[in-house]
Amino acid sequence: MLMPVCGNKTLGGSMKKLIIITLACLLAFMFLISCKGKVKEVPPPPQAKEQPKIEKVEEAPAVEEPMLSEEEIFMRKSLEQINKEQPLAMIHFDYDKYFIREDAKPVLETDATWLKKFAMVKVLIEGHCDERGTEEYNLALGERRARSTFDYLSSLGISPERMKTISYGKSQPLAVGHDETSWQQNRRAQFTIIEK
Amino acid sequence: MKSRAKKIVFFGILFLGATWTFFSQQEVVITIKEGMAAIPLALPDFTTRSSSPALKEAAAEIRQVLGNDLKYTRIFQLLPEAHYSYIRPLNPEKIFFKDWESIQAQILFAGEVSESEGGAVLFEGKLFDVKSERFIVGKRYQSEKKLLRLVAHKMADEIMKVYGERPLFNSKIAFISNRDGNDELYMMDYDGANQTRITFNKVTDYMPAWSPDSKKIVYTSYRKGNADLYLLSLYEGNISAIATQGTNFSASFSPDGKKLAFCSTMDGPAEIYVANADGTNIKRLTFNKAIDTAPTWSPTSREIAFTSDRGGSPQIYIMDAEGSNVRRVSFGGDYHDAPAWSPTGDRIAYVSRVDQIFDIYVLNLRTNQITKLTESNARNESPCWSPDGRHIAFSSNLSGTIQIYAVDYDGANLRCLTSKGDNKLPDWSN
Repeated sequence: MLMPVCGNKTLGGSMKKLIIITLACLLAFMFLISCKGKVKEVPPPPQAKEQPKIEKVEEAPAVEEPMLSEEEIFMRKSLEQINKEQPLAMIHFDYDKYFIREDAKPVLETDATWLKKFAMVKVLIEGHCDERGTEEYNLALGERRARSTFDYLSSLGISPERMKTISYGKSQPLAVGHDETSWQQNRRAQFTIIEK
Repeated sequence: MKSRAKKIVFFGILFLGATWTFFSQQEVVITIKEGMAAIPLALPDFTTRSSSPALKEAAAEIRQVLGNDLKYTRIFQLLPEAHYSYIRPLNPEKIFFKDWESIQAQILFAGEVSESEGGAVLFEGKLFDVKSERFIVGKRYQSEKKLLRLVAHKMADEIMKVYGERPLFNSKIAFISNRDGNDELYMMDYDGANQTRITFNKVTDYMPAWSPDSKKIVYTSYRKGNADLYLLSLYEGNISAIATQGTNFSASFSPDGKKLAFCSTMDGPAEIYVANADGTNIKRLTFNKAIDTAPTWSPTSREIAFTSDRGGSPQIYIMDAEGSNVRRVSFGGDYHDAPAWSPTGDRIAYVSRVDQIFDIYVLNLRTNQITKLTESNARNESPCWSPDGRHIAFSSNLSGTIQIYAVDYDGANLRCLTSKGDNKLPDWSN
C-alpha cells in the first residue's frame, strides 16, 4: 500500500485524518473482499460429439394370447391327456361291501363340482375289487360299487345320461401286494372320461 | 303124455341153452363199480417193424401218452417196468398168455408201430384178457408224426368204451391266461399238452364256457369298453355278440345244447338270464335286489344251480330252468360261490371261503355229505368237472402264481397243468 508521504514534514492534523480514513477504507475494502469467498473457475463449454445414426430394430411385441377360459383349455386337450391328469379322484370301499363310506362322500362332492363345471363331459365309473373274492362274485360286487357311486353322483345332481358303469371285478388291481394296504387300494370306484 | 312133456321141456332147455351161448359170445362188456380194485394192465414196449430210431421214438411217445391216459382213470394199474424183463418179449404174432399171467397181468395191451410209404405212422393196438386168452378190442390208426398224442388218446378212448366209460382223453380245457400280456382265451388238452392261444387283442377276455358239441366257446370280452358276452365258433373263426347291455358274464350252456344261461346287470343288479343257444330270446329268471350269478346246469338241463346273496351272504341255490322252486343247498359258512354241477348229476362242486382261505368242496345231493377237496392254505377257485364226472379242474395260487390244477373227485392225484403266467377260470369240454 502506498502511503502518501509528504516530505519530511510532520504530518498536520488534517493529513492525519486523511491517512486514517484511507487506511480504514482500505481495511474495510480488504475485509469485504476476503468475505466474498473463492471465485469459481468456470470450465470451458464441452464440444458437442457427432453420433452415427443407428436405428435399433426391436422385435415386434408378441401378440398377446387372449386369456383362455378354463373350459377352452380343457377342450383343447385330448381324452388321453385329460385322463392322465386324473381330474376325478377315486373312492374306496369296505371289504365285501358296496355302500358309499362317509370318507368317500366329500371326494364325490368334489368330483361332482368338477363334473358340473365341465358339463359336456361323459364319464365311465369303474368298479373294482380286491383279490380275496371269487371271480364271479367279484364281478357282480364291482358292478354294485360302480352303481352305488353312480347313484350318489346322481343324487348330487349329475345327470344319469352322462355316466356309464362297468365292473372289472378283481382283474385290474392297482396294488399287487397281499396285505390290507394293497387290498384297500384295490377296493375302489375310479373314473375315466369317455367323452368331452 | 309124460314123455311128450319131457320132450318139450328137453327141447325147450336145449333151445334156451343155444340162445344163451349165442348171446354170451357177443361183445365183451365189463362194468366198473366204485371200490373195485384197479385192474393190473401189462403195457410192454410196442414192437416196431423197422429199427429206425424215429419210429422207435414215435412208438415210445404213443406208449407213454396211452399209459398216462389209462392210469388217469384209476381203472387200470400199470405193471412196473421191471416185470417185463422177467418174461420173454412180446411177439404179437404168437402171444404166450401164460407168461403174462405169471407176472400178475389181467389185461394185456399189445401195440405195433410201422411206417407207411408216405412217411405216415401206422399204429395197431390190441387189448387181450390174459386169463381167457381172449381178444377184447383192437384198432388201427394212421397219422402224421405230429398227431401221435391224438392217436394215443383215441386208442385210450376205445378201451374206455369197452368198460362202459365216457370217452375223456380228447376233451379240452379252455382257460384264461395272461402269459402274453393281458387276460386272453386259451385252450389245452385235458392233460395240459398243446396249450394254444385263441383270442388276440389287448383287452381282457374272461370266463370261457364250452358248448356241449365242443365247437363253440361263449365268453366275456371288454373289447368294446364294456363287459359283453360273445360266442366264438372255433372252426369257422367267427365271433357274434350275444349281450351288450350292462355287465354280462358267467355264461353256461345247457347240456342238451339248446339254452345258454348267463349273468347280466342289464336291468340293474346282477341277475340270471336264459337265452337260446344262439343268443336270441333272452329271458330273465331272477327278480330281486340281490346278486344272482354263476349259473350251472344239471345234466338233465332241467335245473340250474347258482350263487345268490339274497339271504345276506353268497350261498348256493337251485331253481328250475324256468326260474321257479328256488331252494338253498349250501349251509354252514358265510361265503359259497362258483357252483359246478357234475355230469353224473349227483354232486355239485363249489368254492367256500373260510377265514380268507378258499377251498373247493363237493356236495353230494343224495346223501348231503360234503367232501373237502383242497387242503392248502391258498385261494382255490373256479371248479369244473371232466365229462365223466371223475375229475375236477380248478385254479389255485398255492404255488405263488395262479395255475390250473386237476384233481380226482375224491381229492387224490393233484396235477398241475399250467406254468406260464397266471392261468385261471378253466372250463372242461365234453
